[in-house]
Amino acid sequence: MIPAPGDGWSRLSPRKLLLDPVKAIGQAVVPVVVAVVGISQSDSGFGWVVFPVLVIGPLVFGALPWLTTHYRLTDTQIQVRSGVLNKNTSTAPLDRVRSVDLEASLLHRVLGLQKVQVGTGVDDDRITLDALSAADAQALRTTLLRRREAAVVVAAPDASTEDLPDVAPRPPAPAPLPVELARIDWSWLRFAPFSLSRLVLLAGALGALSQFGDNLPIWNEETARSTWDWLAQFALVAVVLVLSVAGLAAWLVVSVAGYVVQWWRFLLVREHGSLHLTSGLFTTRSITVEEAKVRGVRMTEPLLMRAVGGAELSTLATGVENGVTQVLPPCPREVAVGVGQAVLEHRGPLTDPLVAHGPLARRRAWFRELREALALVVAAAGAAWWFDISWWWVAALAVVLLLAAAAVGESSYRHLGHALAGDHLVAGSGQLARIRTVLETDGIIGWVVSQSWWQRRIGLADLVATTAAGDERVLLRDVRLDVGVALADAATPGLVREFLEP
Amino acid sequence: MSDVGAEPIEREPIVPRPVLREPAHRVSPQAVPFWRVSALIGDTVIVGAAAVAYVVVPDVPGWTIVLVLLVAAAAVAHVVLMPRIRYRVHRWEVTDTAVHTREGWIGRQTRIAPINRVQTVDSRQGALMRLFGLASITVTTASAAGPITVDCLDAETAREVVARLTAITAAGEDDAT
Repeated sequence: MIPAPGDGWSRLSPRKLLLDPVKAIGQAVVPVVVAVVGISQSDSGFGWVVFPVLVIGPLVFGALPWLTTHYRLTDTQIQVRSGVLNKNTSTAPLDRVRSVDLEASLLHRVLGLQKVQVGTGVDDDRITLDALSAADAQALRTTLLRRREAAVVVAAPDASTEDLPDVAPRPPAPAPLPVELARIDWSWLRFAPFSLSRLVLLAGALGALSQFGDNLPIWNEETARSTWDWLAQFALVAVVLVLSVAGLAAWLVVSVAGYVVQWWRFLLVREHGSLHLTSGLFTTRSITVEEAKVRGVRMTEPLLMRAVGGAELSTLATGVENGVTQVLPPCPREVAVGVGQAVLEHRGPLTDPLVAHGPLARRRAWFRELREALALVVAAAGAAWWFDISWWWVAALAVVLLLAAAAVGESSYRHLGHALAGDHLVAGSGQLARIRTVLETDGIIGWVVSQSWWQRRIGLADLVATTAAGDERVLLRDVRLDVGVALADAATPGLVREFLEP
Repeated sequence: MSDVGAEPIEREPIVPRPVLREPAHRVSPQAVPFWRVSALIGDTVIVGAAAVAYVVVPDVPGWTIVLVLLVAAAAVAHVVLMPRIRYRVHRWEVTDTAVHTREGWIGRQTRIAPINRVQTVDSRQGALMRLFGLASITVTTASAAGPITVDCLDAETAREVVARLTAITAAGEDDAT
């Protein structure tokens, strides 16, 4: 029934036979327990038939993928065959291999396994081999990247010729040693509490919990109100204090632990014309991005991080699953800039000053934030009227919101800007975070100039450089129309020129 | 904006103030009745729903009739004005190197994409469009932000443009990213 894996076909690691059933049992444990409890309550002899099926089922289904999945590496292709009834064969030409990512969950690591994902430049078409033994996975990765290098004869990381694969085929250089770009420095741990991205996860978890909270019988309007009255009467200040101190302490623990777990043994190297990142305490990740596909970088300095001089860095690449890959943990700004410059192979784009967008853009930034604040105030006023809450609260809220909006508006204007640094387009953006996006002009595949009615009246426009890399668009908000058009013309010579008025 | 043929005195340091010219061609004149009819259909549904709600819902306050009338007035303005403004604004051009379009009626959007980065060329003709002998072309690049649509060409022109674009893009070789 199962074809023997001849002709160079190999199976996944036999330890997969342990991996999948354990996972399957883990997933099936709840239904099994429910079923067993249900059966034992119904008290019929029937249970003794069902029980083994419920246990053996996951084992069999867990074993099927190992029995039916084979892979093979030919001179030109990697092929993977899988499926029981529907035979599924995926192939990828070796010269199209863009990335080889290794990942190992804790379970994988206990068993000495790794999951291999091969990206081929077509966004959602990744070849996955789950799982190979760690040594096989490493060997496969090295082989794939080496072969790609041999297949693409031109030296990949040379930025100036990367779009012209047919010119000047150079002899492949002898395999260079990996160059280390960055390595974890545990003094960076000081940035962990200031990086709020993990807070979003925490908030999500709390949100999920509150879903259950809604169903609790004690939580209704009346108890809420009486609780509130009780709080206001006795110990509002004390309770708030205790809660915020406890929250802060919890946040410290969560953020530092999260940082350690995610970035344990973080190492970023450049080898085989690729950037190669490894990190992780429990789940280890190994991500490879082909440098020829990296079209730019994005440096993000969130508000709190900037206060302590920290930054994060991502690469913008084409043909990776989602083109934005974070390549550095929260780290000192100088490190992010240094690595960014190494990736871009240019010094200017991450440090050059940006051209500001002018007073009209500032006015629009302010208006945008104030409008949202006003909408919130109106909503709050409505709520106050409905629930009969004191108008003082609304007034206080309005003052706070409007001040905050003014501050956010000003900060988002200050982050706004653009520059053309050599052959890189630089865009500054962000409301609270300062974000600098750098895109190779070679990577620009079109322009969109959009003007709302208001923008037309004051001669501003939103200029979007479209690209296949990263989020697929780089937005320059509220730039003066003629400045934007001149910028587009300068960034992509010959494209816009014929559409300019003489 | 730019003083063409004015005296050659430096009035300000020579800062070029480039202005995008409009694309060369208008869309088909048939687009005006097409837009009008489709707007009419959509707006009739909305106004009808509002009117029905006003009649059916019991005990509506009297002033809501004003809302219904406002919606109706907006719909009439939309049907009358939108197609004409649109026809003035929508323009397109395909040169040997780039596709250039302008669209919108309240806002404006100008799009330019180099032809050597074009990946797919689709044309689309809905039932109503066929009635008016119209077709739309969508040109996509490797960027999700980059698709360019030329709405409401007459069907014959659309066929020609598609054929031309396909011929040009087939000649390209790299993967257009």
